[in-house]
Amino acid sequence: MDEFQTGEEASFLVDEVSSIIKEAIEGAIGGNAYQHSKVNQWTTSVVEQTLSQLTKLGKPFKYIVTCVIMQKNGAGLHTASSCFWDNSSDGTCTVRWENKTMYCIVSAFGLAI
Amino acid sequence: MAEQPFPGTAQVLAADNAEASPLRTTRRGSQPPARGSEDGKPPPLLSRRNSILSRRSSFGMVPGSRRPSWMLHRRVSFTGLPIFQPILKTRLENTYRMGPDKGCKFDAERVQRVLEGTLACALGTAAYSPQGSAPLAQSLTELLQNQAKEVVPPRYKLVCHVVLGQQGQQSLVVGSRGLWDPETDSFASATFSNVSLFAVATVYGVYFE
Repeated sequence: MDEFQTGEEASFLVDEVSSIIKEAIEGAIGGNAYQHSKVNQWTTSVVEQTLSQLTKLGKPFKYIVTCVIMQKNGAGLHTASSCFWDNSSDGTCTVRWENKTMYCIVSAFGLAI
Repeated sequence: MAEQPFPGTAQVLAADNAEASPLRTTRRGSQPPARGSEDGKPPPLLSRRNSILSRRSSFGMVPGSRRPSWMLHRRVSFTGLPIFQPILKTRLENTYRMGPDKGCKFDAERVQRVLEGTLACALGTAAYSPQGSAPLAQSLTELLQNQAKEVVPPRYKLVCHVVLGQQGQQSLVVGSRGLWDPETDSFASATFSNVSLFAVATVYGVYFE
């Protein structure tokens, strides 16, 4: 009888992922002001850092990490996401971060395989 | 009766009384392991047990005290412990599939066309407003997801992400990266902008093994 029970270690833990994302953001753009020339590099490093830390957790998940960086200029911004998945095993975590010159919104989605 | 007894029946079987033994064998027969509905009629033997219980409870209970809810449901064993209905987990058959069928992969171009068309339809005449744009973004993701579901092959999980913002003099970068199987999984994205707002929509398709 095939009984592949998912144990405690194979669930998407929001707090853990949230702290990983915060560390990645602080590390990449922590004390910087918005610079158009560097934004591409920043998004790449935030996303790569988050993804590598998530991989190190060693869980049977596929990950998608999205990063939005916007300059503060008085304009409004909304993000939304909807997912077609298995509610019991998959999860998402979104972290909003800002400093004086820019907003950064990072979303991480984990889908169980 | 090759399968293991469920926790409920195990509890009952463990609480052994002298009078339980003749009933135990017949009870096993009357409680088939694969019971479909939770509201199945309790076997007739339970009624006898209930009458014993009610007598016991009238002795033991202080008048005016509250009975626990399970005692009122009449699904209790000899010892007064509740019998919980076993939660039946549906076991799906093994499909022996390692990947999607040939020609049944996530078609990024097709999904992108669908996204562009839907964005243009939905946001063609929309204007940005601080109160109205939040529910607009949410409804947009659901709409895009439903549209994408029709175009995407089966066994694919979808994540639909929408960024909706006011058109101003700012700049914005949206980046994403995924850890997945590049042969089966992919994404599609589309952008839309008018005088007062802009929108970036991305749909990721991940194959579910």
